Amino acid sequence: MSRILEGKNAVITGARQGIGRAIAEAYAENGCGLWVCSRTDDEAFRKDMKELSEKYGVDIRTIFFDMMKEDEIKSAAKEILGSKIPVDILVNNAGATCRSLFQMTSMKTLRDVFEVDFFGPYLFTQLLLRAMMKCSSASIINIVSTAGLDANAGRSAYGSAKAALACFTRVLSAELGTKNIRVNAIAPGVTQTSLLTYDEEQLAEIVADSAQGVIGQPEDIAGSALFLASDSSSFVTGQIIRVDGFVL
Amino acid sequence: MTNLEKYNKAFMEALGITEDKLAGLEYNTIPEWDSVGHMQLIAAIEDAFDIMIDTDDIIDLSSYEKGKELIAKYEVEL
Repeated sequence: MSRILEGKNAVITGARQGIGRAIAEAYAENGCGLWVCSRTDDEAFRKDMKELSEKYGVDIRTIFFDMMKEDEIKSAAKEILGSKIPVDILVNNAGATCRSLFQMTSMKTLRDVFEVDFFGPYLFTQLLLRAMMKCSSASIINIVSTAGLDANAGRSAYGSAKAALACFTRVLSAELGTKNIRVNAIAPGVTQTSLLTYDEEQLAEIVADSAQGVIGQPEDIAGSALFLASDSSSFVTGQIIRVDGFVL
Repeated sequence: MTNLEKYNKAFMEALGITEDKLAGLEYNTIPEWDSVGHMQLIAAIEDAFDIMIDTDDIIDLSSYEKGKELIAKYEVEL
């Protein structure tokens, strides 16, 4: 089977685990060189990425920065741009979750969530865009959330930040369409990752309301991210794709 | 090629305009220099001088003349 991202390079934030890690593997398996980003440096992550690199025969570079720190985001972008490696694909996956009722959500919490889920990806995209504009075609994929599309209690901060990122996706797609840069978002439903904040009873209710009767796995999201990164989606832009097993 | 010639070339190639349009040129006064053209221009200037322009300077680069002042910060003498 051909590797559909052969010759391309992607930057993936939040690649240490969960959805980001699954996307990194899906891309590597399909021949894509990677910049994998994580907040903190540790040997386990480097080792994991080294093994992925050897397994699929692609270049994988690790880079560490905090989405809440503008200077670190700029330094990371400088390192990526300075490498002169083309950036064909950007996946803004890093995120912070929050579940608390409106009256229990402090302004600090709200600002922190927006820093990681919206302002950070906004700046990072702004910085990397100059490299993406040099590619004959490019794809930006923002990982939003069904929480940003649906009105669920307890999601005023997280849902609002993800809604902002979804709106940004559509605006950017309008601005960049003629430059052959596609911008799409994936809105995962409840997905089995370390960010999952539901207890067993709540999960059982969600599963009961799902057409497929299961919660999503990171690999389910990675499949859609692979499609949006590839030329198979060359006429798809400005879309927010729900990947949630159809919650009824 | 002098640095000024490189600077002019970046404008002409990124925006698809001729040299006679450069003097007095300002952002958003011609269709070619819109927000997308601006990013192409930034990329072209960065490539020409092997620099990385800060976000604040990208926003401040509002004219052909202003750009000359800004890139001096990156030790590029025109």
